Amino acid sequence: MTTTQRPSADDPRILLDQEAGVFEPIPPYPPRTEREAEFYTLGDGEMFLNMGPQHPSTHGVLRVVLKIQGENVVDLDPVLGYLHRGVEKLAENADYHQVISQVDPLEYVSSLFNEWGAVLSFEKLLDVEVPRRAEYIRVLSAELNRIASHSLFLGWMALDLGGLTPILWSFIERDEIVEMLASLTGQRMLFNYFRIGGVNGDLNHDFMSRLGNWMSRATEQIEAGQGLLNENEIFVRRMRGLGPIDTATALRMCFTGPNLRATGVPFDIRRAHPYSVYPELDFDIPTRSEGDSLARYLLRMEEVKQSLRIIDQCLHQMPDGPVIAKLPRLLRPRPGRAYAAVESPRGQYATYVVSDGTDQPFRMRIHDPSYIHLQSVGLLMKGNLIADTMAIMASLDPIMGGVDK
Amino acid sequence: MDRRFKARLEAHFEDRLTGPVRQRHDETEIRIRPGDVVPVMTELHDNADFRFEFLADLCGVDTGEAMHVVYHLWSDTTPDWLRVIADGLSRDDPRAPSLTFLWPGAEWMEREAYDMFGINFEGNRDVRRIYMPPEYTSFPLRKDFHLPDDAARSPGAGSRHMEQAHLPTDTPSATIRRLPGSRQLPAKP
Repeated sequence: MTTTQRPSADDPRILLDQEAGVFEPIPPYPPRTEREAEFYTLGDGEMFLNMGPQHPSTHGVLRVVLKIQGENVVDLDPVLGYLHRGVEKLAENADYHQVISQVDPLEYVSSLFNEWGAVLSFEKLLDVEVPRRAEYIRVLSAELNRIASHSLFLGWMALDLGGLTPILWSFIERDEIVEMLASLTGQRMLFNYFRIGGVNGDLNHDFMSRLGNWMSRATEQIEAGQGLLNENEIFVRRMRGLGPIDTATALRMCFTGPNLRATGVPFDIRRAHPYSVYPELDFDIPTRSEGDSLARYLLRMEEVKQSLRIIDQCLHQMPDGPVIAKLPRLLRPRPGRAYAAVESPRGQYATYVVSDGTDQPFRMRIHDPSYIHLQSVGLLMKGNLIADTMAIMASLDPIMGGVDK
Repeated sequence: MDRRFKARLEAHFEDRLTGPVRQRHDETEIRIRPGDVVPVMTELHDNADFRFEFLADLCGVDTGEAMHVVYHLWSDTTPDWLRVIADGLSRDDPRAPSLTFLWPGAEWMEREAYDMFGINFEGNRDVRRIYMPPEYTSFPLRKDFHLPDDAARSPGAGSRHMEQAHLPTDTPSATIRRLPGSRQLPAKP
């Protein structure tokens, strides 16, 4: 280890007596790695600028140290951990049912996908068969959640570019979906709805009537919201060609989800490695070839339409039957390993769980797409203006709850 | 389960596998030595029969006796997930080769594995802490790192008060510094 200038923050025998909330861009210790040494050495005419962690456009508590030359970003170094809760460690100390509520706040705008990843891996571990009605309810509620997440993305993205109206419009959309899911699950954001072997409750009248109302005008409303931006010349000209990434680089940077599909690869876990009842549903995987910020934005808007198609089919094909498999309260899966991935609005959300035969996971790994996409921000940013930092970051759509786990 | 994929893997990596190829549900699992990670992964990525272009996940696992690095890969040549387990890293000085030469995107996943388990990835040019503060000295996801209120598995077994902190056992004593006049905790039993 390198020399520590300050006492260890994890040493419980020390009362830390330091100023809080002061963020120096240059760390007060010598560089630990090759990359850090390279980054924290200034070239001619360059300077450091600290952005965050309480910066409104970082979508949470992300701190970014920018190395700038004039108005141009030369390089950047994201500093994470301000929202780190150690969910993986908490999951090792909770039983299988409790884990579902622990993973909820990871990607807090699309919580159902976090739950889905967890329960899917537990079901594989336990060899549980999920009733078909439960699978359809899962798909239905998750696709609603995807629309909510994408419409929030639309609003945030415009907000980061300085437009205030779209977020007000998209919040109307999102609020309706969230209220709808609240009548189904009992919660507005952290649903805690999926269970190992099914879901917590059947569809109810309140949910169905709200959904019916909303579906009758959803397409129209969503298109109106998108029309604010799609035909806005300032927006389109600003986003076109901003932060482009090509297919080969995107694959090597482990991109998934809309960010990868915007470079022309039709990779969607729902089709590439099908789970639940997606093979029975008819939908397209939109792709675009440009790979820039505009493509990433337009692709997500296409996905919303596909989600509406899926919801429509779910409502028509919804079978009768139980919504949860009969399982004992105390689950002790046989020792083994299981990996399950779902297509979250941001990409591949995966859970790898190792069981040692007790009622608690021995190890639970959470692979979050936001985390993977955020590391490419530096790659996409080089040479752009400081103001474009937010635009590019917003187009990748990272959620700090997921990045910091 | 893709039986033919299993046969292909066995034929191709015969001498490099340290255990049988296991299959369950939609997963195929192989075990290799950490020294074989680079040739095996390069072959899986580059060989036209395998074409594993997606690194779906990279993570560390601490079994209590040894460290593992676990890779998950996806390819259009098989309907299975491929899990590659690099087995038997020593817990005192875990070292594994980096995959950043194949997938630069593995950099942060390796940083996370370093942060949580202390696994050193040789060839990764940025192995430093990512979640925990830079002055942090222990590795939270190791099995000997007990949560202060982990009554279920700690020797205290329910008798320890939640607020009573104790040092992680993998903290080297040389790195512990005390401020003058700081609160002293009782020594660990």
